[in-house]
Amino acid sequence: MVKVTLENVTKIFGKVVAVNNLNLEVRDGEFVALLGPSGCGKTTTLLMVAGIYKPTKGKIYFDEHDVTNLPPKDRNIGMVFQSYALYPHMTVYQNIAFPLRLKKVPKNEIDRKVREIAKLLRIDNLLNRKPAQLSGGQQQRVALGRALAKEPDVLLLDEPLSNLDAKLRVLMRAELKRLQKELGITTIYVTHDQVEAMSMADRIAVMNAGKLQQYAKPEALYNKPANIFVAGFIGNPPMNFIEGSVYAKNGEYFFDNGEFKIKLEKELGEIIASKTTEVIMGFRPEHVKISLTNVPNSVEGVVYVVEPLGRDIVVNVKVGSIVVKILASPDLNLESGQKIWLMFDQRKLHFFNKISGTSLLV
Amino acid sequence: MKSSKTIKYSRTKALLWTIAKYLVVIIIAVVPLIPIWTMILWLFMQSFSSKVIMGILPSGLTLNNWRFLWSSLKMGLKEYPNIWPITFNTLALALGVSGLVVFVSVLGGYALSRMEFKGRTPLMEFIIALHAFPSIILLIALFVILNKLGLYGKGFMTLVGIMLIKAGLEIPMATWIIKGFFDAIPWDIEWAALVDGCSRWRAWRSVILPQVLPGIGAISIFSFLSGWSEFILVFTYVKNEAYYTLPVLIYHMIGEYKFIDWGLLSALGLFFTIPTLIFFSTSQKLLLRIYVGGIKR
Amino acid sequence: MASKNEVYSYGHEKAKISRRILPWLFLAPMLTMIFLSWIAPVILTVYLGFTDLSIKNFLAFIRDFFTPEVHITINNFRKIFLGEDPYISEVLKITVLYVVSVLSINAFYALFLSISIAYFIKNEILSMFLRVSWLIPRIMPGIIYALLWNWFIDPDYGLLNRMLMMVGVPESMLPSSWLLDKPFSQLLMIIVNGYVGASFGMIVYTAAIKSIPPDLINAALVDGASDFQVAKNIIIPLLKWPMLFVISWQTLSLLASYEYILMIWGSGGGGGYAGIAKAAGVMVWSLYSYSKAFSEYAYGYASAISLVLVVVGIVLIYIYFKIFGFKKLMAPSRIEV
Repeated sequence: MVKVTLENVTKIFGKVVAVNNLNLEVRDGEFVALLGPSGCGKTTTLLMVAGIYKPTKGKIYFDEHDVTNLPPKDRNIGMVFQSYALYPHMTVYQNIAFPLRLKKVPKNEIDRKVREIAKLLRIDNLLNRKPAQLSGGQQQRVALGRALAKEPDVLLLDEPLSNLDAKLRVLMRAELKRLQKELGITTIYVTHDQVEAMSMADRIAVMNAGKLQQYAKPEALYNKPANIFVAGFIGNPPMNFIEGSVYAKNGEYFFDNGEFKIKLEKELGEIIASKTTEVIMGFRPEHVKISLTNVPNSVEGVVYVVEPLGRDIVVNVKVGSIVVKILASPDLNLESGQKIWLMFDQRKLHFFNKISGTSLLV
Repeated sequence: MKSSKTIKYSRTKALLWTIAKYLVVIIIAVVPLIPIWTMILWLFMQSFSSKVIMGILPSGLTLNNWRFLWSSLKMGLKEYPNIWPITFNTLALALGVSGLVVFVSVLGGYALSRMEFKGRTPLMEFIIALHAFPSIILLIALFVILNKLGLYGKGFMTLVGIMLIKAGLEIPMATWIIKGFFDAIPWDIEWAALVDGCSRWRAWRSVILPQVLPGIGAISIFSFLSGWSEFILVFTYVKNEAYYTLPVLIYHMIGEYKFIDWGLLSALGLFFTIPTLIFFSTSQKLLLRIYVGGIKR
Repeated sequence: MASKNEVYSYGHEKAKISRRILPWLFLAPMLTMIFLSWIAPVILTVYLGFTDLSIKNFLAFIRDFFTPEVHITINNFRKIFLGEDPYISEVLKITVLYVVSVLSINAFYALFLSISIAYFIKNEILSMFLRVSWLIPRIMPGIIYALLWNWFIDPDYGLLNRMLMMVGVPESMLPSSWLLDKPFSQLLMIIVNGYVGASFGMIVYTAAIKSIPPDLINAALVDGASDFQVAKNIIIPLLKWPMLFVISWQTLSLLASYEYILMIWGSGGGGGYAGIAKAAGVMVWSLYSYSKAFSEYAYGYASAISLVLVVVGIVLIYIYFKIFGFKKLMAPSRIEV
């Protein structure tokens, strides 16, 4: 069980900067997710931790040891690839045993370990099959078994669930989380699915275009996103954004987007106005209440489309010339064209610098 | 308005065009094949008959033409060396070429496909360029090299020298083919092997190599047949009859115009062609792919 | 058991060294063989072309490459280019005849051949059968091909003359010896090589034809085109680049080829080297070099003749690459270990 530290890690391929000055520390036994859209550099980062790629700049440490130049085989890591990468010419047993054979573990010891892991992952009845004869879910567990058999210090997973069907994915999420807690291995998990990251990780590193956007616990990312990218990436349905300005008039603070105005609470207004006037306001669909009557400090809108989801409904509301999504209870019988008023919970409003995108509240 | 007369007319026109089309096909593609088919037919028929009527109809089925298999090889006034040592020479050459080509190109092909090193692009371009270069004009220089290495006129060692040269001539093509097979292996299998604890060498041996077995099969067959059929190197460099290979033997026998025994020659020819026939009938798809993919001339 | 620290630092050094050296270990055998069979001979050919190496000083040369018995001279090239060798112009004429004739078969006849087989014929099995048949001369071991032709042209036992007479060719027009009587011997030379070469063009063109989007052809058929018109207006224009490729590749290939000619004409009169090629008028450039070297032991002169071809070859290959480019057959290595 080790601590993994990335120090000023940069990776350039030709002219493309895949990873830009990344600083990250994964604590011993922690489950960290690298989250971001495709091309953000998360897989490249993972491969550098694995030792398959060498950083162009910067260093990687396992505990205090500088492993930057160490080949994968000396790093004692286990890795599960998106495509599982099982050796097609070997049986399940041989696949899992392979890392142990390379470590020159005695034969009976190998046998014991392989069967133990197979039992844990419930694939002990598949030991004599070849990968081509297995389903996706089974292959995935074999890949996991192969990664875990050698009792690695670090476990790396590259979108291991993305090739599974939705139901299996949800099941495996819980299994993986439980397994990791039980074994206590330092784990780095790459995914583009924010639900996956939020439900499994202790901390999430959100990346975009090679740069680290924010590295925090799931709750912190949800409640206190550091910039627009993180705010818009986390949460489903995603956060609504409205451009506008914040100013003071007669001692009161307002947010004005040209079509409607909201009066802001004094403290909130003060903080924002002290930094800038041009802002982007963000609010999550679940943090807005719908009122059927006009109440003070609410914003008028027209129901555009209602999407029933069973447990909730997503109401698309046209406010001025913008459409925002609001999460509401299905008990509200709304119809297209109906006039409604939106009430904002000011404690849950987010404001971002219009130019830089950084949060003005954090 | 289209009258029925017009439609009938188009139908006749279409029929005429179809007939013309098939006529063209027959003239261009089928008629020229007649000599080829005839020759092949003759090879089989003549080898098992004492006489052939009209060139290809057998008369008097016999195995006498195959007597060289169990007795000495005599045609006309000349006695040729026994068939079995000659066959052995040919086999040795073919196996040697095949083994060497496989060994060398598997290593080189992998490096070209999956390793980083300075000069990788120029080297690949060079190897492709070698495909176009006609090696056959280097015979004189190769003769000098053979002498310099002390392998000329040294009986079996000369054949060994020829094997080295022939293998060297086949290697660019074989390397290119096997490289294609390596290219097709997904990267993450190799990564997985590295993560599991393999050095690059071990990964290559235990994980990558098993994936290219079809490719290895293909180039080993291909180079075996190449060595088996090799004529000009042996003809030019081997003077001692005892170290002839089958093609050279057949060549010398064709030259005996006055005493040519077609029955014997056709049987000998068919005997020689057996490996080619076997390999082609058992692995035609694979080999045709190579002939189509890797063109030398 | 090494401590973890030792493993980490030892691993570094090993990794650095092996990463640099390993590719070269894999490449070494291949590079050695290529040097032996390609590079060294080319260099040597260049050198020998400027010497007077012959049977007289050969042994001395082998003992010591720098022996004074071998003289550097440009006489060889004077013989070639200044006509001091009277036979050279004849060789040149025969070579041009050979290359142009066989090229028209390999590049042009093959075009019509492949359209017939790959387009006019819709039945896959028939098409396959014909394609394989045309491949046979190429796949067959060369000496067997030579043997079969030797039989075929035999005036007494072979079928060529008989078949020609069956289609109405008068006996008086047929040669007594296809091997020796010009121009029949030259015609034979062209045909023998043509059969082998046609399959090259056939393969290239067939692949190109198969890659034409079927909708293009269907649109033309709907527009009212016959198969001939489709061939003329759609298929042939699309085959321009493959044709250029076949012409280029085959030109070099034909200039340097002589194996089949040697196998058939070399085996006359006592099994000598290129025995009756001269008399039969089939002495192409590359065969001339071979015969000068191995029948007359004029190694230096023969090398010069070869060298002309080597130079032509390198120039042509360079041009091909410029025209056709080095297609992106390369992906960068994805392991930096």
